[in-house]
Amino acid sequence: MKLQGIKPMQDMHINVTPLIDIVMCLIIFFLLVGHIAKQASIKGVKIPVAHNGKSISNRSNELILNVVPRHSSIAGVQRRPRIWVWGQEVPQANLGEMLRAFKRKNPNLRLVLRADQSIHYRYIAPILTDCAAAGIDSIHFMARRP
Amino acid sequence: MSSAPGSKRNKLVPMAAHVGPNMTPMVDVVMVILIFFMLGSSFASRNWYLTNNTPAIKGGLSNIKTHAMPATRIDIRVQMRGTRAMVMIGVFQTEDLKGQLYRFLVKKKKLFGKKVKVILTPDNNVPYQDVITVYANCVKAQYHQVAFGYPRE
Repeated sequence: MKLQGIKPMQDMHINVTPLIDIVMCLIIFFLLVGHIAKQASIKGVKIPVAHNGKSISNRSNELILNVVPRHSSIAGVQRRPRIWVWGQEVPQANLGEMLRAFKRKNPNLRLVLRADQSIHYRYIAPILTDCAAAGIDSIHFMARRP
Repeated sequence: MSSAPGSKRNKLVPMAAHVGPNMTPMVDVVMVILIFFMLGSSFASRNWYLTNNTPAIKGGLSNIKTHAMPATRIDIRVQMRGTRAMVMIGVFQTEDLKGQLYRFLVKKKKLFGKKVKVILTPDNNVPYQDVITVYANCVKAQYHQVAFGYPRE
């Protein structure tokens, strides 16, 4: 009688290839999102505190407008702040034109105003006026949780 | 010494070892990176927003098309008194931009109902922080139409 020997065990490893595929996709996604977020928001802006507000989950059609203060050597005098959009400085004179171009390209455009808390209203009002002139009727004021 | 054909010694031994790179350290590192980015992104979004759909006053700015305004309106002026901001609504004045102002706005809201519009006109030298504080109170008091006025020089 021929005795059957014990068969060698098959390779029992888990197939990790799909896992690595998915994880790599997620990492690339987070890297890109981080890069875009870095471009959209400029350092040196201390945004104001608000005791109420809401989180926005839908971030599409958003244009972030950073208003960065410029320090003056004279105490009590505030210089005209710098306006940054997508990592580029925009002169106040060109802001209206630029907003109109964005609005033409995207009719559902929403503006996120990310201005420093110390900036005087005299420099905020023209920005709001330019938004109104460009037909942007949805403005989100970015604020900090207390 | 040669073995006879068909004997056990000549049979090929099946490969039992796993051929290929060891993926375990790579998966470990990649998972750590993934968790770092996920946590980092959740910490980054600690801001919230005050929304506005009425950016300008009708008639206040020529050549700008704006929304129609309800008949009833509340004019809020914000002025600086020394280093502090003061809110003026008619004869009502307060430096308490949170408690007292909010209570006043809630009272007015009950009086006027839904169809009321607020026009917020801070002075030129009012810091943006105070503008946002007053505006946040309007939003909290359920005023859905708040417009920003252009200050006079």
